[in-house]
Amino acid sequence: MRPVTQCSTVIREAELRQVLKRSGEATVFLVGNLRTALPALAGAILLPLAAFLSLLLVSLPWLPEAVRPMRALANTERIRSGRILGREIPVPYPPPRGTSFEQGVRLMRSPSTWRDAAWMAGHGFGGLVAAILAVSLWPSIVVALSMPLWWWAAPEGAPAAIITVDSWPKALTMPFVQAGLNGAVLWWGVPALARFQPRFAEMLLRPTRRTSLTERVERLSATRAEALEAHGAELRRIERDLHDGTQAQLVSVALRLGLADRRFDADPAAARALFLDARDGIEEALVQLRTVIRAIYPPILSDRGLPGALRTLTAGLPIPVEMDVADDARDVPAAVEAAAYFVVAEALTNIAKHSGATRAEVSVRRAEARLRIRVRDDGKGGADLTRGSGLAGIGRRVAALDGVTEIDSPDGEGTTLDVDLPCGS
Amino acid sequence: MRIVIAEDNVLLREGLVLLVTSDGHEVVAVAGTGPDVLPALMEHRPDVAVLDVRLPPGFRDEGLRAAIEARRALPGLPVLVLSQYVEETYAAELLAGGAGGIGYLLKDRVSRVDEFLDALERVAAGGTALDPEVVSQLMTARRDPLQALTPREREVLSLMAQGLDNATIATTLVITERSVSKHIGAVFLKLGLPPSDSGHRRVLAVLAYLNS
Repeated sequence: MRPVTQCSTVIREAELRQVLKRSGEATVFLVGNLRTALPALAGAILLPLAAFLSLLLVSLPWLPEAVRPMRALANTERIRSGRILGREIPVPYPPPRGTSFEQGVRLMRSPSTWRDAAWMAGHGFGGLVAAILAVSLWPSIVVALSMPLWWWAAPEGAPAAIITVDSWPKALTMPFVQAGLNGAVLWWGVPALARFQPRFAEMLLRPTRRTSLTERVERLSATRAEALEAHGAELRRIERDLHDGTQAQLVSVALRLGLADRRFDADPAAARALFLDARDGIEEALVQLRTVIRAIYPPILSDRGLPGALRTLTAGLPIPVEMDVADDARDVPAAVEAAAYFVVAEALTNIAKHSGATRAEVSVRRAEARLRIRVRDDGKGGADLTRGSGLAGIGRRVAALDGVTEIDSPDGEGTTLDVDLPCGS
Repeated sequence: MRIVIAEDNVLLREGLVLLVTSDGHEVVAVAGTGPDVLPALMEHRPDVAVLDVRLPPGFRDEGLRAAIEARRALPGLPVLVLSQYVEETYAAELLAGGAGGIGYLLKDRVSRVDEFLDALERVAAGGTALDPEVVSQLMTARRDPLQALTPREREVLSLMAQGLDNATIATTLVITERSVSKHIGAVFLKLGLPPSDSGHRRVLAVLAYLNS
């Protein structure tokens, strides 16, 4: 019998140690939670004020500023809880658009703002309560278990374990009941709370199906409007170029030929001069026409496809360019082809003109339904999408196709331009 | 000269035929699509072929490919390639074979009838005719080392790269042939190129320098 008892004692000890370890870790976790819970609590206390202020239309433009710390906190929690859950919690925020007033309105209407706020309140209050509970349970068990030893010595007002302990029978039963209850909470309740916390965060902080769809639709209709606008501007520009340039030039040629015809018999020398003038005019018109055609759809793209066309771009540059274009970049729609060619041509021209770089790299990759372009140089950096007509032109052209332009250009450390264009399937 | 013309646009094709026949040449065959070009060249072995870059059925660069293929089959076959726009890569591909008898011009150049016919004859004789626009693209790319040249020397370099001989350069710039030789000597010295006689080899040396 003896070995069995020993054995069961060993098992019980091991179990107990494991339980203590589990509860201990859960307590440490819940205390660690305070790092986000306390700021969340502070935020939650300020929430009514923020809500009241955003009801006044005047303060709406400041809402994006006010929401920023909340989002930063929520993002920290997304990363932390995501790590514990072993799956990423996606960020539901769409990139800001429009004036600060429009951004404010959009934030008020966005479900993610309200869900963030709900999380902040829940996490702030709940996290604080859970942490206090977990921490105080440990000493309370010690206090309860030791109560039979000292209850009689307690001064004014007997100590309480569920009911007031004022007699030996009570003192020998109730403290153990109390310790057992506390132990049970510590054993099951605290680890459950620790497990619940990241799930709660995920539930409120991940994008809902509705938000992602709503925001996608909103973004698509906005970019579609921009695309239509850009397309309209493009048509007007082409019309103006042809109307004021080529067409006017041809009219003046026709006029000169008419005059030459009239003078031909009387003054052959003057007629000849007019013929030559007319020829110059036509040559000029051809040059203009080529420029217009190149802007609509560079002919080299029909000849060689995107990879071949991009390779010809390096020919005229004073610095070496490493061109890495995937072969499957060939089968993209013509509009995407033209935009990609324009982006790389413009970026390389910029590099040659302004960057002072000694070398550049271009990579074009197809990733499922997107075309990813990266142009990198080792020049002086400091490039800005909002300044310089070249980069702004790239941004506009990419946005018109619902693409994304990003530029990373720290001073003195070169420039990396990333463009991501959707291109069907 | 016996000439084969490949051009899909009927108006332009008739214009080209008119242009060369008015100068006493003979058009032995015309081709309207890419696949027709090579058989016509193989059959007629013309003194010079005039090819449009973009031809049916693909409307890509069939004419250019046909030219390169034809010169692989018939080395040294003089080919003048015409295009609505010029691309220095195409020029490099045409010249890559090394042999002479290559022309690459904008279609616009047909309006200068005499210059165009000169270029045609130069190509037929194994020379080079490169469009001024291609040359200026090349010279822009090599702007820095060309800073060392005087403006006149740059003009001479440009005309030399287009494939013109000293006499023509002299008439174009209205200077004597002797001063042309002097400028050319200075250009070669400043760019560190080995001195070269006139003709296709000289053009290749200059283009190789500009393209490097």
